Amino acid sequence: MSSAATPGGAGGPGVPTAIDPVTLGIVNNGFVNVCREMGITMIRTAFSPIFNEGLDFSCVLFDRHGNMIGQAEFCPAQIAASLFIVRWTLEELGIESFEPGDVVLHNDPYRGGAHIPEHSVIRPVFHEGELFGFVANVGHLAEIGGKAVGSFAADATEVFQEGLRIPPVKIVKRDVNDMELWRLIMANHRTPRNTWGDLNAQIGSLRVAERRVIEMVDRYGRDFLEQAANELMDYSERWMRAEISAIPDGVYEFTERMEDDGVSDQPVTFHVTVNVRGDELIVDWTGTDPQVRGPINATYGVTAGATYNAVFHVTDHHIPKNSGAYRPIRIIAPPGSAVNVQYPGPSVGGNTETHPKLADMVIAALAPALPGRVSAAEGGTCCNFLFGGIHPKTGEYYANYHLEGCGWGAKSYDDGNDAIIIKNGNCRNTPVEIFETRYPLRVKEYSLIPDSGGAGAMRGGLGTRRIMRVQDGVEITVNALLDRTKPGFGAFGLEGGGQGGSAAIKVKRAGDTEFRTFTEAFGTVSASKFTNVVLRGGDEVLIESPGGGGYGDAYARDPERLARDVFEGFVSAGQAQALYGAAVTT
Amino acid sequence: MSGAAGPDGGAGGRWVELKPAVWETVVRACDCCGQVVPKRLWVVDIAGSERRFCGTECESLYRSYVLPRLAR
Repeated sequence: MSSAATPGGAGGPGVPTAIDPVTLGIVNNGFVNVCREMGITMIRTAFSPIFNEGLDFSCVLFDRHGNMIGQAEFCPAQIAASLFIVRWTLEELGIESFEPGDVVLHNDPYRGGAHIPEHSVIRPVFHEGELFGFVANVGHLAEIGGKAVGSFAADATEVFQEGLRIPPVKIVKRDVNDMELWRLIMANHRTPRNTWGDLNAQIGSLRVAERRVIEMVDRYGRDFLEQAANELMDYSERWMRAEISAIPDGVYEFTERMEDDGVSDQPVTFHVTVNVRGDELIVDWTGTDPQVRGPINATYGVTAGATYNAVFHVTDHHIPKNSGAYRPIRIIAPPGSAVNVQYPGPSVGGNTETHPKLADMVIAALAPALPGRVSAAEGGTCCNFLFGGIHPKTGEYYANYHLEGCGWGAKSYDDGNDAIIIKNGNCRNTPVEIFETRYPLRVKEYSLIPDSGGAGAMRGGLGTRRIMRVQDGVEITVNALLDRTKPGFGAFGLEGGGQGGSAAIKVKRAGDTEFRTFTEAFGTVSASKFTNVVLRGGDEVLIESPGGGGYGDAYARDPERLARDVFEGFVSAGQAQALYGAAVTT
Repeated sequence: MSGAAGPDGGAGGRWVELKPAVWETVVRACDCCGQVVPKRLWVVDIAGSERRFCGTECESLYRSYVLPRLAR
């Protein structure tokens, strides 16, 4: 996502606005920058690498009616979820219940949240005693209790096993912390010091954003700013409707599977029907399997977020991202299905494993209608690897949430990106130096995996291989939640492109000579989703992330591109011969 | 749960305000789109069955899209 376009500028619908387009563009950028500054504040003040390195958070600005009027380009999945989290919280608590200096905390996955580790904080902005709007952000706390360290219980069957569930409650009242509530939360997290630091980073960033909004109101005046916000939303809606109108009317469908849910070894099927009707979309997830016992169920916030992200990927990226842009898109997510989990079903993996697949499904469904504008599937898993224990240096409990980039799907005009976190996450890879400094593991290898990109005229992006060794004398407890490890479940190609390479997570116990699956070594039901396995000094873990799907016939690949692939080691000479039909030597 | 017709309620339905007890920690989902209904349900009788929506727009979507799909 780039900076918002100037309303009325190139690419936008040329409908006149009451406020001149230049001023409207400046106001829009002001709204976006409030959100960006909120994020930068969190980067500089949070305790956990998942915040200040991974950037697993999002920041939004709402008007006093619950419409989103600004967002920054952080985590797309959370941005979509926050659309609902804030609006529904305001409805449930009542806008009149907010007083200056209040902060509402909330991580309930059944109330719009994407999954339970993600905590939202919402603060009203009053100007001269009158409510103007709300600033809010969503951040992933690395540890919130539950049955598994890092709160990613890959074999959870109920939300209670996933961590402490918090409905919308005021954690700060008129700028005074409710310490009773804080103590309750601290007592249920394994790493309360980090929770204190990260949650206060979130809350503190709200105060920064509040000041910036008040400065905007001082500069422009309340009435003008509200009018500008309304015009911006209408403008985004018109632009989105114009984009949808350019898609041929029709009914487009796609089906995708996940290899298992972590509790049984049965695959889970997802189905989408995209109805294009003039300037509106109805995206219907009916036909998806009923919600499953394991934690790969998606919440409504996840499914809606995936749908919106997909639509944004195939429409003009300059459309200002506010509530107006979402209005023409209707979503049907049957309650009790794997795309709309109901209480008390688990959902922690829905945001990381299911979300990317749902987004790719909507994009792929539209492939016949938008030839050349869609991409093949990405690796579609965060390769979630969580671990914790007593830190040998501090003697305190620690926990870390580690995620890996994967290969992205190829496009009609270029190869897929290598080693990038799934597109709904938009997070950063944590540097090895940070990882090793903070935790008692050493990274022995971090590399791209040759031949992992799906073959095609445009090749899928490459996945990565990482090997970590547990330091001598240390004991750690690990959990993992990956997908695409079984044959046949790789990222799909488009227009004849090949499937991306598989993911893997394996272990080599100290003294062993070869890596084995965790099922082979520890008897876990799923080889890719397991909880609370204890590793000791000298043990090694191998994580391979999947590659992206290819686009177009591999035999049509530009020989120069293929020769460069072989030279760089991205494609082996053997695969060049077998899949591309070309004899290439280095 | 208590109910009363709201000012924007149509002739075919009624708004019902949700007043959950403290031990009722679960929110309702709309019968059409699946969204959370945090405060008010739009309740309509359709073909002899009571349907609960997040608003009148979802009643319209249910009639124009879901029912024809179910009939196929």
